[in-house]
Amino acid sequence: MSLTETEIKESIIDTYTKVASNGRLVAERFYSPEELQGLPTSAVELALGVGNPVRHAGLRPGEVALDLGSGAGIDTLQAARKVGPSGKAIGLDMTPEMIRRARANAQAMGLANVEILEGPMEAMPIPDASVDAIISNGVINLTMRKSQVFREIHRVLKPGGRFCVADMLINGELPDEVLNHPTAWTG
Amino acid sequence: MGFEEIVAVEWKSFGLGDLTRYPLFTKEFLAFLKKIMPPHRHEELVFSIVVTARKPREAAAA
Repeated sequence: MSLTETEIKESIIDTYTKVASNGRLVAERFYSPEELQGLPTSAVELALGVGNPVRHAGLRPGEVALDLGSGAGIDTLQAARKVGPSGKAIGLDMTPEMIRRARANAQAMGLANVEILEGPMEAMPIPDASVDAIISNGVINLTMRKSQVFREIHRVLKPGGRFCVADMLINGELPDEVLNHPTAWTG
Repeated sequence: MGFEEIVAVEWKSFGLGDLTRYPLFTKEFLAFLKKIMPPHRHEELVFSIVVTARKPREAAAA
């Protein structure tokens, strides 16, 4: 039996609310020591992405960057450092506990150019054509409505704006038992 | 609607060993995957990719 969108969303929020740190195992795979330097432990140890989109996003001072599924903030905070005080890094997440953590991490770094918003990436609480660059790290795979997410990306990007997405791509077929397993949707 | 300059800048195999780094997956789930997936897929369950793209400078309305 297939999972419904509501069941998947509830499972994702539950998983990301309860997730415990696994140390630096994920962060050290994708980020250099220089990139991790100065980031709060909570942000580094709750890195749950599958790549390093900030490295490829070409962020420049003064730009507005949006991080879809910002989690505890590891990519949002790095984006904030890249765009500098004249720019802005916006994190968007649907899990209140992760929003709390990301805000605390931005505050711990003394970053005034970070804003963490609560909302779904399928209906972003972001004005049209207001963002220079969008990053996302292992998050778009979590939604059943991927086309809607890309419509939203298109809507909020300025003309000429770009996105850099790190994510998973299925290699061939996966058995139904895996595709319909809640953990496969939340991880 | 559309995007341009779409480029896959990274493309890497992602296997069972990689999943063990994540606190999202229980030992039971990893054991389930190991059992249900054929051995030749264990080192390459999925790919991790990084893709960049751009919204056209004169984009039509979505």
